[in-house]
Amino acid sequence: MSPARRQTIAATLTRMSMMVSGTALLLAYVSFLAYDWYSLRQELVSQLETEAAITGSNSVTALEFDDPQAAQATLSALSGSPHVLYAAIETPDGAIFAEYSRKAGSHAAPGLHLAGDEFEQHWKLDGSVLLARRIEFGGKALGTVYVLAETTDLMHRAVRFGIISACILFLSFLIAVLATAAIRRLVTGPLTELARTAQVVSRDRDYSVRARLPSSTDELALLVRSFNEMLEQIQQRDAMLEESRTVLELKVEERTAELKTANKELEAFSYSVAHDLRGPLQHISNIVYLLREMCGDGNPQTTAMLEKLDESSARMSRLIEDLLNLSSATSTPLRRRQIDLSGMAQSILTELAAQSPGRQVETMVAAGARVYADEGLIRLVMENLLGNAWKYTSKTPHAKIEFGFEKSADTTAYFVRDNGAGFDPALAERLFRPFQRLHTQEEFPGTGVGLATVQRILARHGGKIWARADVQRGTEFSFTVPDTGGETNGAG
Amino acid sequence: MRHSARVWMILAILAATCALAAKKPTEYDVKAAYLVNFGRFMRGEPGAAPRASDFDICVLGEDPMGTSLDAIAENEKIGPRTVRVKRVHDAREARSCDIVYLSAAEGEKIAADLEALHGADALTVSDAPEFLRNGGMIQFVLQGDHVRFSVNLGAVHKAHVVLSSELLRVALSVVGAPAGEVAP
Repeated sequence: MSPARRQTIAATLTRMSMMVSGTALLLAYVSFLAYDWYSLRQELVSQLETEAAITGSNSVTALEFDDPQAAQATLSALSGSPHVLYAAIETPDGAIFAEYSRKAGSHAAPGLHLAGDEFEQHWKLDGSVLLARRIEFGGKALGTVYVLAETTDLMHRAVRFGIISACILFLSFLIAVLATAAIRRLVTGPLTELARTAQVVSRDRDYSVRARLPSSTDELALLVRSFNEMLEQIQQRDAMLEESRTVLELKVEERTAELKTANKELEAFSYSVAHDLRGPLQHISNIVYLLREMCGDGNPQTTAMLEKLDESSARMSRLIEDLLNLSSATSTPLRRRQIDLSGMAQSILTELAAQSPGRQVETMVAAGARVYADEGLIRLVMENLLGNAWKYTSKTPHAKIEFGFEKSADTTAYFVRDNGAGFDPALAERLFRPFQRLHTQEEFPGTGVGLATVQRILARHGGKIWARADVQRGTEFSFTVPDTGGETNGAG
Repeated sequence: MRHSARVWMILAILAATCALAAKKPTEYDVKAAYLVNFGRFMRGEPGAAPRASDFDICVLGEDPMGTSLDAIAENEKIGPRTVRVKRVHDAREARSCDIVYLSAAEGEKIAADLEALHGADALTVSDAPEFLRNGGMIQFVLQGDHVRFSVNLGAVHKAHVVLSSELLRVALSVVGAPAGEVAP
């Protein structure tokens, strides 16, 4: 708000009090004037009555003894009344006995007369009043006295009232101005202080400031006190909020640490279990081998059972291997270096082809894919993804497996695509959980640990993996391996 | 209709009055009227002896006013008292009167008459010259057409009569010491 448009309460109050006193005075002025206008005529008439009565009775002897000079002297006494313009005494036969004019010759007899039975009468003329009164003595009418008076001094009254009113108005304005100082001290001062405090609070979010309490005990003081109490409450709540946040953070840290410890223990436990299972399993498969050597041409039922046993121990061995891989995927330190991913993919596919000489699989490997990553772990990723592709295309007539990459603005997405069994996209989120399988052991054998291992390895490199699939139309796994991000060399 | 009838009546009365007034009053008509008027502006001094019920205006000696005084005094009252005109020929008879008029025709007798009225509470009026100097109280004076009068306050005071100041105001002249300064 610009200073010119800002209106202080004190100024408003001053203006209001000025307006009220001005209006009251104006009303008083008008009503006084109206009343005066009315009463002045009455007053003038009654004054004229008195004057006419006195003049009349003082003129009795003059009339009785026919002395116009004495009557003239009596009438001249009316010069003491400034409003009297003209006066005359008439004898009963209508002749002028004596006359008085304020200014000689300025007025003549008005030509109005009392009716026969009237004693006194007055006439309102333009700007003047004429009063006639009989002069009687001893029950006998001696004559009539006429007094003509001007009413123009009503104007003088109006002017005089106006001047008085203006003086009072000026005084009341003066008082209003003085009152402003008091108002400023009692009202505006505390309000301004309060407003300033509120500004500081809202600008700096500082709830520790307090508005100064005014010395009075009125509503303003109550307002300021309430404002301060509000600030106090906000401050307390702020402190409580801060405290609980700190406590919460500490708790989260604590829990995270506990969780980490528990996870580590769990990993160590599963690693040691898997590791310790390898020894006895080796014994079992050795014994199965010896048993098959010993009763190689025995009863075919025994042979079948021994074969089943051999198969089971082989599967268990694979499972243990996978579990150890999963364990190492999270626990071995990262050793990043440049890797020729295309070459790695090609060599894995060649190995896979060598393991199943009867299959015809069309493979395509895009050249030039390079990543900066831990070689052992990335090999695990590629073996899993390509192995899966190999496995799930085993029932597809014209199997196709493709490795490639797509460069976008800031990342490179590598993909492994096949035209194998695929999976239900609704179940995609279950893919990367350990021991979750979307196919039965009879359809496609597997441990359900591979993709979980892959995801962990990529997460440790700061990368991501996602899958796109349709049932019977193949699968596409894509992943990213950023050069930076994730764990640095040797950490973890 | 009634109103206009009254107006006509008033007009008729006014016309009659004017007709009477048209007959210009004589000097003695005026003096007769003044005699009655004096009665209206005088009173006894506080403590003076109570008066009879009639207000007697007495004419001592020759009467130049004729019937006009009787006409004027007829049915007149001064206060509660009825005005009565008496004609007397001896000053001693006039001692009980309120106003005694001494005609100028009395001439040399006036001094003796005033002597005879000495001590009576009567207002003495005359148109004789030197009346005031002889101890009279009010003397008519002719001023052109106008009848005026002069007053001897000293003589008035001795008679235990008080004249109204109003009357003194219209007097042509007032002689004699003011009432308070007169030695008994």
